[in-house]
Amino acid sequence: MSDQTQKSSQEIILEILCKYIDEEVDHAQVLPEASFEALGIDSMDVVEIIFDLEETFDIEIPDPNEIEGMDENFSTVQDLLNIVNTLID
Amino acid sequence: MRIVITGMGAISSLGYDVNSFVTGIMTGQVGFSPIEQIPEIKNLRVKIAAEIPDYDETAHFSKKELALFDRFTQFQLLSAREAISDAQLDFTPSLSERTCVIMGSGIGGQSTQEQNYKKIYHEGGKRLPPLTVPKLIPNAASSHVTMEFGITGPAFTIASACASSAHSLAQSCMMLRSGLVDVAITGGSEACITYGTVKGWEALRVTSKTTCRPFSKDRSGLILGEGSGTIVLETLEHAQSRGAHIYAEVIGFGMSSDAGNIVQPSSDGAARAIQAALKDAKLNIEDVQYINAHGTGTPQNDPSETAAIRKVFGDYADQLAVSSTKSMHGHALGAAAALETIAVVAALEQQIAPPTMNYSEVDPKCDLDYVVNKPRPMPINIALNNSFAFGGLNAVTAFKRFSETSESV
Repeated sequence: MSDQTQKSSQEIILEILCKYIDEEVDHAQVLPEASFEALGIDSMDVVEIIFDLEETFDIEIPDPNEIEGMDENFSTVQDLLNIVNTLID
Repeated sequence: MRIVITGMGAISSLGYDVNSFVTGIMTGQVGFSPIEQIPEIKNLRVKIAAEIPDYDETAHFSKKELALFDRFTQFQLLSAREAISDAQLDFTPSLSERTCVIMGSGIGGQSTQEQNYKKIYHEGGKRLPPLTVPKLIPNAASSHVTMEFGITGPAFTIASACASSAHSLAQSCMMLRSGLVDVAITGGSEACITYGTVKGWEALRVTSKTTCRPFSKDRSGLILGEGSGTIVLETLEHAQSRGAHIYAEVIGFGMSSDAGNIVQPSSDGAARAIQAALKDAKLNIEDVQYINAHGTGTPQNDPSETAAIRKVFGDYADQLAVSSTKSMHGHALGAAAALETIAVVAALEQQIAPPTMNYSEVDPKCDLDYVVNKPRPMPINIALNNSFAFGGLNAVTAFKRFSETSESV
């Protein structure tokens, strides 16, 4: 886990995301502003990513539809970073 | 060949028999409550389900039987007892050979599996009860129905998740049509409110923490349900020869697979199953008045099912009454289609479309007439029941109000 303390949470989250992107997508494109769609991440991938993040950070991530104003707009890497960052603060 | 329904049995969160189930759905009773059978409930995010109320297994089965019957087998036996007694069937040796038992279950004996594996993995147990395996196998429910009633014809269980008992009903119709049997005992059972199963559904993020609001914009997922339904099918000739009461006619079925995604539904696959059912039943789209929707209340199913209905029915889709009774009895997985078949039969008999409860907000992606929040008296001659399973396996069944003079289909 020393690896985890040296890396920022954002780096860890982006690394996790890289496991779920389309094979053709370059890892360099996994940036906060990228949309899930552009990375080839579908809604089932999002569910798996959420599970992975919960296990990695030992947090409980609510469903996007439970977060005020999030349901309609939950579509980018930044949306995911925002949720996780508020939970691990 | 005409196939008719001559007996029904149900156990659900709305009660212990067909009468309580039908009264429940026709009065908009929502059968959801805090989960009682999972001691670890504090570790669950999803804390409500459609459980059988105040279920006491010792009131229905002996100690010796309970050593053999998982909860899902118990439910199947209870609904089968009601259905077979309702049909007033007497299984003489010749009839019992000409009767099949085909039930559906998504999971089988899940509580047996979990409770016993907990003992050896977690509690240091060294051995399991000898009847663990025969208790958990998914065909246990079908087998115990054959044993209790002495039915010796073909018997097996079909597993296609949420469409299991729709596929069972279709398979039963094929058995009857082929001439292999004269009577089919079909349906399904599920007892899926276990710690492991609910945790699994939680992780999929398709279960609601509040309630099930099919087709409503603010829907937040399905509510897991448990229970069982049994339907007695007979050839019309057999039913009439013994003077049986006939509830309704099964006029066709259609099946398809999406060949797409294990969880994301495809409106094309669903539409092909609906089309196949209409074709099998020799129906025009304008012949249908009511559809009991799969209507799980998940963000994914409801727009996809709506699109499938629009694809098949075109402009006529606006004339259809569509409702999801899962808003009341929950999603009983492998038992769902059996319970919903009983809902459809009640709709045909009473000429009332049961409601979609808990509906609060129009979703532009779900733009059909969903019979919201109260039942609707209306003429219903022909109705469909949609069932679409994880794995992309679809089954649609078609029913007709019974009339002796119906054209043979």
